[in-house]
Amino acid sequence: MNFLAPLFLLGALAVALPVIYHLVRRTTRERTVFSSLMFLRPAPPRLTRRNRLEHLLLLLLRCAVIGLLAVGFARPFLKRALPEAASAGAPKRIVVLLDTSASMRRGRLWTEARDKAEVILRAASPADQAALFTFDRQLNPLISFEQWKSIPAGDRAALAHQRLAEAKAGWTGTLLDQALIRAAEMLAETDKGQVAGPRQVVLITDLQSGSRLNALQGYDWPKGVELVVERVAPRSAGNAGLHWVADSTDAPRTAEATVRVRVSNEPDSQREQFQVGWAGASGAFLSNAVDLYVPPGQSRVVALPVPPTAAGADRVLLRGDDEAFDNTVFVVPPEPARVSVLYLGSESETDIRQPLYFLRRAFQETRRQSVRVAAQKPSASLNSVEVTAANLLVVTDTLPPAQARVLQEQVSRGKTLLFAPTSATSAATLGALLGSAETRLDEAPSTRYAMLSEIDFRHPLFTPFADARFSDFTKIHFWKYRRLDDAALAGAKVVARFDSGDPALVEISVGQGRVLVLTSGWHPADSQLALSSKFVPLLYSMLELSGAAPPAPAQFIVGDAVPLPHESAQTNAALSIVRPDGSMLALSAGTTNFTETLAPGIYRLGTGPTAQRFAVNLDAAESRTAPLPMDELERLGAPTSRAALAVTQEKERKVQLQNAELEGRQKLWRWFIVATLAVLLIETWLAGRTARRLAATGGTA
Amino acid sequence: MTAAPPSSALPRAGLIDPQTLMSIRNLELRARVVVEGFWSGLHRSPYHGFSVEFTEYRQYTPGDDPRYLDWRVFARSDRYFLKRFEDETNLRCHLVADQSRSMSFSSLKYTKAEYAATLAASLGYFLHLQGDAIGLLTFDERVRDYLPPRHRFGHLRRLMLSLEKPAAGRATDIIAPLQRVAEIVRKRGLIVVISDFLAPLDRLENALIQLAACGHEVVAFQVLDPAEATFKFNEPAVFEDLETGRTLMIDPGTVRTDYTRRLEEHCTAVREICQRLGNTCSRLTTDQPLEFALFDFLRSRMQRGKAVKRVTRQHSAPAGQAR
Repeated sequence: MNFLAPLFLLGALAVALPVIYHLVRRTTRERTVFSSLMFLRPAPPRLTRRNRLEHLLLLLLRCAVIGLLAVGFARPFLKRALPEAASAGAPKRIVVLLDTSASMRRGRLWTEARDKAEVILRAASPADQAALFTFDRQLNPLISFEQWKSIPAGDRAALAHQRLAEAKAGWTGTLLDQALIRAAEMLAETDKGQVAGPRQVVLITDLQSGSRLNALQGYDWPKGVELVVERVAPRSAGNAGLHWVADSTDAPRTAEATVRVRVSNEPDSQREQFQVGWAGASGAFLSNAVDLYVPPGQSRVVALPVPPTAAGADRVLLRGDDEAFDNTVFVVPPEPARVSVLYLGSESETDIRQPLYFLRRAFQETRRQSVRVAAQKPSASLNSVEVTAANLLVVTDTLPPAQARVLQEQVSRGKTLLFAPTSATSAATLGALLGSAETRLDEAPSTRYAMLSEIDFRHPLFTPFADARFSDFTKIHFWKYRRLDDAALAGAKVVARFDSGDPALVEISVGQGRVLVLTSGWHPADSQLALSSKFVPLLYSMLELSGAAPPAPAQFIVGDAVPLPHESAQTNAALSIVRPDGSMLALSAGTTNFTETLAPGIYRLGTGPTAQRFAVNLDAAESRTAPLPMDELERLGAPTSRAALAVTQEKERKVQLQNAELEGRQKLWRWFIVATLAVLLIETWLAGRTARRLAATGGTA
Repeated sequence: MTAAPPSSALPRAGLIDPQTLMSIRNLELRARVVVEGFWSGLHRSPYHGFSVEFTEYRQYTPGDDPRYLDWRVFARSDRYFLKRFEDETNLRCHLVADQSRSMSFSSLKYTKAEYAATLAASLGYFLHLQGDAIGLLTFDERVRDYLPPRHRFGHLRRLMLSLEKPAAGRATDIIAPLQRVAEIVRKRGLIVVISDFLAPLDRLENALIQLAACGHEVVAFQVLDPAEATFKFNEPAVFEDLETGRTLMIDPGTVRTDYTRRLEEHCTAVREICQRLGNTCSRLTTDQPLEFALFDFLRSRMQRGKAVKRVTRQHSAPAGQAR
């Protein structure tokens, strides 16, 4: 006989109560006064069996009542095989999602998670279909449904074991929402008419609060797909993380270079005292570390002066935290990107009415970018180094044909040239730059000022102004401009026109490069452009279009794509990247982004003294290791209500259900209650009879 | 010495149930009920014509004093009989009642002391009706009240009042009061001692010897509660001595036999002491009708009269022979 609620059997222990009560009664110190104790000797009550149990049968009956009640409440049933339910045999479809984010590097989390995944896949029946994925920032298939189906059922566990053994916990953040949505969609897609059984997404994760769940907010979870969360938890809670607080790229440069780092302590942390300091590759502090007190749930920012480069400090370490995975921040002190602009014009630099004056002032030096404007007279011979180094060429005056030819060569190799003639006499120069024989430029009649209209905001030059708040160019008045016949120019694309219909800004492709023709000057004699708020962004757009290195971010997050310098793409030169562990990776020519930032550290692009370094650090969200409440997933629409039961316990649950059904069919408890009532009746009768007999004997005595 | 007749062995008809009797609050009334009931019962009893000092009927012969003719007998039988009495005038009776704390024990609705007081009052009333002088001495560990024997108006009332005082003593010392009686009572007389006699035997014997030596006739009533006699307790408990306050943890089931045996030995010893000294000792339990006590009393008096008569004859025969 089996029991559905065996804990109720403990109620049978209440059988001891009457006996204990009996014994307690025997030892009460009731006082009785008596006339004289001269004939009495002390005789403490002896607890002989006869003393304890006077009405053995009655006692047995009462014990039987308690025992029967206890057995009845324990809901007994006889084990018997149940006919299998129709749905029980239906094959399941399971997508196992295994978290490989950086937070899984804590303690034995990764091993436990891997073991769980293996257990789940082993438990799958031959008819079940399973797929195994790891996820962090992206979903990586280890075993797809097709692979699962293609191999024999006996080999599946071995395959799962092999794939799991190859998998490793990574360093990236947790995009849990993307992974869940992808898995749910996989189940929803493959479900159509194929499988009638349950569909489950089994999520094996530490469910840290840094996991991203935003995308689940608006996601309509497919019906019938169930989410089972298998949570792995570290033995000791709490974590403190270290992160580099990058300064704004627009912030002005200061004399003393400092690096600010933030130490954040999790709410469930046990520690409060930390040390932060610079360290080298050896992992020891190079200078005096800063002591920090960070209470749980709070964070502190500390500014560390950048040590001299010779000291070899390339990272900041956090000491005092038990979880080491996020205690190092790699720092490459930011160096401003150097961009050069070559200006060819005859005017004086100090003449406040001339274009050069405004051009110099438009390019201010910032923390991340330093633009050097080199001015040259058209008459002077061109410095080839200057021309080659220049990212943007600006011509406002008529050039000698030889120089125009040099520039035209440079442009045809890929440079960008801005031609903004201050007079219509420069038509020949334009022709030379474009490589065409005849180009006409006429001075437009200046009866009234012109305004820009018909601006192509999809063009990269005007994309920054595409927003309606910034797209009003009508306040810029152009007093004078030169009329250019765009139809006569091959490959010309008018980016903006004046309200008269004449082109204002024309982009003309020349070879691999381009020439931008601005038919009016920005200096006050021609227009109000230099004085407007659009001027500087427009120039920077041109600089960007020219392929000048955009200001690189101070640090990258693991998994980020690192943009490679523009020249490499243009020059088709192969590049190599040295990873933090010293291994070298050769990038194929034409690669614009480096995506294999798989581990935190300092990467070197290129070799030798010109090598660029960039730091890749951990996602700050990974340090938020406090466990996320389970109902958060529920709140976001993922049906985890039945997910509390792990798949590993699924079998047990099924047995429990079967037992409950058997018990419900047999209902043996009713017989026990009937038996209890019968025994109670007998007991009542017997007790009455005994009492009557006792009374009778007492009366006669 | 007469043993108490078993309550079930005697006919209950005409006897007053002690429970009912004790519900009467007035002691004098209780005594009167007992004695009058006893008298009325006596007519139906086989004990015809007994009196305190009555000895025998004798057929009238000419020359006898006609004052002693029993006219009632003559009226019934048409024959002349003379009543013979031993001592008509000089009986002085002392009732010695124990009011110690042990007498306040009760397993019924009334205590041993109340039962003893009723017994004393009944005897007193009975003797008063006979015209005898009755005195009273109550005691606990010392003598409480003493009323010298008198036969006068109001004496019985005082006697009753004295008996009605509640027992207040802490201990029992039966020896000292008996010695005190021996000192006080100079003239020979009847001394009725009503007590539970739960006292050491050796000193009790000395005191009784002292009384007997003074020529007193002693009639002892040992009053016991039914619970004392049978020890019918069931539950183990701490038993507390009423007089000494001593406590004992006792399981009645285990000590009952030993207790009853030792109590019986004690009672037998008391009885033997009395018999050795020529006295009688009756044992009463408080659930027995008081008439039994009166019967015992009269029977002891009758035996005493016969014994005296026998002794007198034995004494007179040699004198007659000598004459």
